Amino acid sequence: MRTLRIFLVYAIFLELAYGLALPIPCTASFADHIFRVGQDQENTSFWTQLPGQLDFTMRTLVYGTYQDVARTTQNPENDFLQIPRYLGNLELRPDIAFSSGRLDLRLKPRMNLRWLAWEEGTREGDEDLEDDWYVNEWLLRLQIDPSLYASYGKENLQWGPSYLFSPSNPFFANNGRLNPIIEIPGMDFARLVWIPRMEWTISLIANTDEGRQEFNSLEFQKTYALKLDYSGHQGSAGLVLSHEEGGEDRIGTFGVWTASDTLLLYTDFNFSRNSNSFYPVPDETSPFNASMQSKNINNSSWKSTAVFGASYTLLFGPTLTLEYLYNEAGYSDEQAELYYQLRKDASEAYTDIESLEGLALMTLGHTADPGIRFFRKNYGILRVNQNNIRNVLNLSFSWIYNIDDSSGIFHSEMEFFVGNHARCFAIGGLYTGEDNEEFGDLLHSFLILGVEYTF
Amino acid sequence: MDKLESEMGRILFILLSISMISIPLPCLSDEIPPKVILAHADRSRGNIGGIEWIIDLESREGEELHKRKILVKARGNNSLAEFIAPPKVKGQKILMLDRNMWFIKPGLRKPVPISPRQKLMGGASNGDIASTDYAGDYKAELVTEEVFQGEPCHVLDLNAANKNTTYSRIRYWVSKKRLVGVKADFLTISGKLLKSAVFEYGHSIPFQDASIPFISKMIITDEVVKNTVTTLVYTQVNLKNIPDAAFNLNLLRR
Repeated sequence: MRTLRIFLVYAIFLELAYGLALPIPCTASFADHIFRVGQDQENTSFWTQLPGQLDFTMRTLVYGTYQDVARTTQNPENDFLQIPRYLGNLELRPDIAFSSGRLDLRLKPRMNLRWLAWEEGTREGDEDLEDDWYVNEWLLRLQIDPSLYASYGKENLQWGPSYLFSPSNPFFANNGRLNPIIEIPGMDFARLVWIPRMEWTISLIANTDEGRQEFNSLEFQKTYALKLDYSGHQGSAGLVLSHEEGGEDRIGTFGVWTASDTLLLYTDFNFSRNSNSFYPVPDETSPFNASMQSKNINNSSWKSTAVFGASYTLLFGPTLTLEYLYNEAGYSDEQAELYYQLRKDASEAYTDIESLEGLALMTLGHTADPGIRFFRKNYGILRVNQNNIRNVLNLSFSWIYNIDDSSGIFHSEMEFFVGNHARCFAIGGLYTGEDNEEFGDLLHSFLILGVEYTF
Repeated sequence: MDKLESEMGRILFILLSISMISIPLPCLSDEIPPKVILAHADRSRGNIGGIEWIIDLESREGEELHKRKILVKARGNNSLAEFIAPPKVKGQKILMLDRNMWFIKPGLRKPVPISPRQKLMGGASNGDIASTDYAGDYKAELVTEEVFQGEPCHVLDLNAANKNTTYSRIRYWVSKKRLVGVKADFLTISGKLLKSAVFEYGHSIPFQDASIPFISKMIITDEVVKNTVTTLVYTQVNLKNIPDAAFNLNLLRR
């Protein structure tokens, strides 16, 4: 509701400030040469221009999800996370955009009706029906000058070339590539974007509110970033400096090199310090002899996270992608052993020892979301994808492998277009890990089947 | 003596200058270096100050017909292609900055870097919808002259100047009279034919106080996947000032 109120105030403000929405004058050299083939001169009245300034797209999604819940120490008997086995979703996703002169307005309101059914844990046999109405993203942007833009809104800011994870992005750990059906919740950003030259862009970004993101055991803190983008003849790169209030400092960079028309080489990395992520540490005061603590706060040593990748497109269509992720912030073997032991102890206390239930609950909360995107230090990703097979089919298969504990995910996506409006999709994941391994500690597998219809 | 030589030199310079200005360009085309022929042909395929056009793309594979409508904004070697129809692909974008390409899909906010070879639809690659810079990307050699569809043409053999091109080799027929590319065979490095394209120039646009022909149709015949013909029809060609921001990933609507 707060977001809607803010939006209404902005909308009224916009209406009053429509005078700002006058077209930017063309440079004289081009204004003299405006030429259009096969079209009449434009009528410049507001109402005749409006259809060209307003863009509306409505997507309707109907999809069902099956989840094979793993019985592990992270989610004992599925009582802690209460993961449903079946879900059915009906979503309306209208995208509205208005652009006029110096103003740009976007709005993405959402409706989600959801049916859930449980087959494991205390909710076994339960069914539930939920509805959710919200604005996932909105944006008001003003062109101050042809090279300077200021904006405020709820956005999902994503960048970087890597498939699974963009370490240089201090705002979003999840880039949505693993489950493209689910929209990443937006957060509130103020941005100033300056384009001094075609090749260079400088952005000042302030993350002012958590918006729809949930930070669980970690508290949201405002984060400020300076982002510098460069685009050259056959490559592009970026530098991101950021500071989280009372927390992490980060230096991130990313780059893509178009080595040939078939080969892309890329990297995305980050140095950070003062992370508030949780790590397992021995703790004699705890009945579990260990606890999850933010031990890196005020630790000024820098840790690196780096992705190195290459993708090659074969002559007959498919693209092969190989990525290596080094995650220095991940747990070492000793830390991982302590982590799984702590989780086991907390899990047993949660089910068997009533007096320790509160502590066990807090500990399992921290182990479920310790604030790092990947738990361990070394990962490999192999992906094969091909789009536009007979102009109707997109296929993608990925193997994500934790080199340190040998667990993995086999992930596949299929999109099939029917007619001009409909897209059928299937997304599946198969986890190969055991209880004390990263992939597979929540689910054994999942399958999403659905249809998207676009008006 | 020095004064006489100086005077003769001045007269010779003036005569040469007058002859250079007064002879129409098409008459000189036999003498034009291949690079210049290519630069002229590139201009008629979008490599110009700032231009916007709609491409109606049709791909016919056997009995199946698929259509796309794409709005392309181009300036020099930079272009932004936005799918505007049918609804199932509406909002998808391909951004090309020199040789760098990104694919942007609505809902998936992260732009994905792609290679120019990745397929767009039918026989068209992503690199085909953008403007061409054959003069910059290829070493050209004038190999012969042929008549194509009744029109005398230079036949140029283009070899990639670096590995950074969509095609390794192109055999390019350029009209001697109009200096536009009318046919192209796209080849692998070993000389195997990948696909052929023929071009029509039904539009004209003003350029430096003159009018030059501008591409209106491109028909691509795939030689690898037989029975695949892809047609690109260019309409609503509009010269306009396209700002840097139009090609900026930080500002693109997603």
